[in-house]
Order: sequence, then structure tokens, then C-alpha cells
Amino acid sequence: MMGTHADYQRELDAIRHSRGYDFLALALVEPAEEQYVIRWKHAAGNRNERFRRIVLKSGKGIAGIVFKTGKSVFIPSVREYVGADSLFNYPIVQSEKLESLGAVPLWNEARVVGVLLGGFREENRMTPELMRDLERSARAGIGDLDGREVASS
Amino acid sequence: MSTPAEFSRMSPLMMKLFENSREAIFFFDRTGRALAMNPAAEEIVSEDVMMKLYQGSENALCGTCRGYTSDTEQRTCLDCYMKMPDSEGHTSFQVYLETRNKGVVPYAGSFHVVDPEDGTRVFMLRDLTPQLRVQERLYQNKMMRHVIEAQENERKRLSRELHDSVAQELMSAVIDLRVLKYMTDDETVLKKVKQTEASMTRLLDDIRNLSVELRPAALDDFGLEAAFRSHFKRVEESYGLVVEFSSGLARKRYPSDIETVIYRICQEAVLNALKYAQVDTVSVHLFERGGMIRLEVEDEGEGFEAGSDPIGTGLGLYGMRERAELAGGTLSVRSEPGIGTKVLVQIPMPEFQEKE
Repeated sequence: MMGTHADYQRELDAIRHSRGYDFLALALVEPAEEQYVIRWKHAAGNRNERFRRIVLKSGKGIAGIVFKTGKSVFIPSVREYVGADSLFNYPIVQSEKLESLGAVPLWNEARVVGVLLGGFREENRMTPELMRDLERSARAGIGDLDGREVASS
Repeated sequence: MSTPAEFSRMSPLMMKLFENSREAIFFFDRTGRALAMNPAAEEIVSEDVMMKLYQGSENALCGTCRGYTSDTEQRTCLDCYMKMPDSEGHTSFQVYLETRNKGVVPYAGSFHVVDPEDGTRVFMLRDLTPQLRVQERLYQNKMMRHVIEAQENERKRLSRELHDSVAQELMSAVIDLRVLKYMTDDETVLKKVKQTEASMTRLLDDIRNLSVELRPAALDDFGLEAAFRSHFKRVEESYGLVVEFSSGLARKRYPSDIETVIYRICQEAVLNALKYAQVDTVSVHLFERGGMIRLEVEDEGEGFEAGSDPIGTGLGLYGMRERAELAGGTLSVRSEPGIGTKVLVQIPMPEFQEKE
């Protein structure tokens, strides 16, 4: 049974409110016939609708990097980490004016199927504690994604 | 030889020349001591250098001279003109002086003996700054044109190579892999082959993207409209920015250099809107009017104050204007904070362009 859009949205809204994120979004990988591109499917606290149109390849953008490596990305200060010149390799950071963010892989049946990104429009708001918390949220699963890195036997 | 009458008429003229000429004139005696300087010359040298010049201290002029241009060097003190006034090479040369108010200024100088009996020499200087500035601008334009042309050609070559050769080879490898799938029933092999096919397809995609980003083959093969449509689609996919494009061009194709100029300027203008305007949509209009190809890129975004400090490098606008001017066209940018920005480019159609 696929989780409905409303389910995902409710879960995102809940996490965003309880942790105080300015922006929280979930990117999911598209099936093979869409060449496994990654799209931002659900978001809370977005400034505009640009994120919906962004199509990422594995390895491109924040979601692409997290998706490819299966590792979290922690960026307390976008300004220091990215620099103005290469900001355009990270479209969502630019269109949502994020200054501080974290992104974690979302697993399902031992594969990375998505990326959960939490961000702030102020510097140094993303902390190691929030990172751990975000990872916990992803591991607990969102919608009907089980969040498990190891296949359940 | 002048008659005494002529001489008496000449003398006041010579005095006026000396007093009012914009050219700096110095007279030196055999030993290098200054005999006289006109007001223009006094304006150049600082006071203590002037004093030393009149006292005849050794190398007094070096206090203000920053070298002259020889055959081999831009600025040198080798074979100083002061030391060898009769040398052929010093009848006219370029020399740099540290001026009192304007920093180091290039001059056309001449230094020669005017009275062989007493050994009196004259040193005359004419400010070269305006000429050099004009020359430099012409040179820069020329260089810029070459650089842009070289860059485009190199991009075209790389892009073609990637598209026609690398991507083709990879494509045939992918097809081989597909054939392989029908040659076995082994599930594990099939699974691996499928994975390999997927990653090779992705690689193929990446190479095609790279090729298009370098220089879209569509621009060379199908012209502006086609190139723009696929470019704007990519912009939408990469950044989520929608470009509303309308084209009213009378013709499909224009000379390649004009197409390139318009394509590159538009690319930059849209990227600027994306970076700074904070908008979801940008509109681009392309049409012909009055013998001009006109390109308008407009957004209803944040805008900016003309002449304010740029957020970026400020080079983007400069480069756009440069490209437009190289094609004999003009570029204007109108922007108002809170209202939006409009970039207008006009390039004269080839038949209206002056033949070079």
C-alpha cells in the first residue's frame, strides 16, 4: 500500500514544527523508466514551487550526493561550505535561500530510495544534535518507506 | 640662418611656446644641471626633484623618471637617454615619469643637444595617456574577439567529439549489452547486466549533457529557436525556473557568429535572473524589428539600482555588453528594485551591418 501524498505531507509538517526547521523536504528516486532521476516530492515551509520542477541525477545536488553515497551531509554554514560561485550546483539551497542544512539518506529494504533534507534560512542553526535527530526520523521510516538499512529477514 | 629681424620676431613666439606649451620642456647644460623648465615641466616634477635638478645633483631626474621603453623592454634604465644625448635611438622614445599629481604617466620624450658649442640639451615630453588608452581599448577589443572566437571553436570541437564519437561508441556498447541479455538464462548474470546497462545509460546521458552544455549542437544544426527550447527545458529541470519563450524570427537561420552572440547573452541573462532576481519565471522574447534582431529577457524580480555594487562579480554584464558590441549591436539593462529587470539586446541583421 503506497502512502498517500497527504500522509507524507503530514509527517513532514510534524517534524518541521517540532524541530523548528524553516524548510523540510523529501526527495525520492524515480523508477527505472524515468532513468532513476531524483525529484523533490514533498516539502514543508517552501518559499516557492521551484523545487517541484528540479530534476537531479545521482551525484548532482545535495540530494544526488546523499543518494549516491548513502551518507549524510551536514552543512552548518552554506556560505563557508559552498561559496557563491558553486551555489548553482545546489539548486534547492539557492531557490529556498537556505543558509544551514542537513540531509540524510532514507532507506527502504536496504536501498537508498530518498533523501530527507532539513534546513534553516539562518547560518549555524543546523547542529550535530539536529543531525542525529534527523537521522533518527529517517531510520524510523516515513510514509510506507521502512527506513531500514539492513534488509529484514 | 635667420636674419636679426626675423630673429626678433621669433623670439617672443619662442618665449610664448616655452611658457604656454602643454609639452614639458627642460633645458640642461653639459653636466646635466637644469638650466630652465617651462611651467608644464614644473607641474610634473615634485619640488625637491626640481631643486635637485637646478642644483645639478647627479641623477636628479631619476627622482621622477621611471625608465624608458627600449627595443627589448617596456621600462628600462639601460643606456639612459640622459647619458647619451646624441644617440640615434633617443630622438624620440617613450618614457615614464612619476608625476606630482597623476602617478606614473607615459610620455613621448625626445632628448637632444640644441647647442653643440655649450652642450645645451633639451628634453621635451608629450603626454601619451589618451593615445595609449585608445590603443589599449582597440587592442582589448581585438583580443576579446579572438578569445571569444577561440573559446567557441574549442567548445564546438569538444562538444562534437563527445557527441559524435564518445557517445556513439558508448551507445554501441549499450546495444551489445542488450544483446547479451538474450544469450543467457542465468539470473545473477542477467541482474548484473541490467545494472551495468543502467549505469552505462546514465553515463551516456551525462556525456550528452556535457556536450550540450559546452555548446549545443542544436545551435549549429537547427538554429536559435531549437537551441533555446532545449536550453530552457534544461534550466527548468536543473533549477526549477520556468522560461516563457516566444519567438517571432522571420528566418530560421542567421550567420553563426550572430546566433552564438544571441545564444550566449541570453544564457547569461537567464542565469542572472535565476541567481539574483528570486523569481519562478522569466520571459524571453526573440524577434526582428527595423533591421535588428532583438532579444528581450525580462523578469519581475528583485531588480537592482543601476551603478550599485554588484552581488556577483559584475563581470557577467560586462561580458554580455562586450559580446553584443563585437557583433555591432547594443545591450541595455533596465532595472528597478522591487519591480524587475529587463535586458534588451539589439543586433543589426547581416545585410544592415557595415562591411569590414
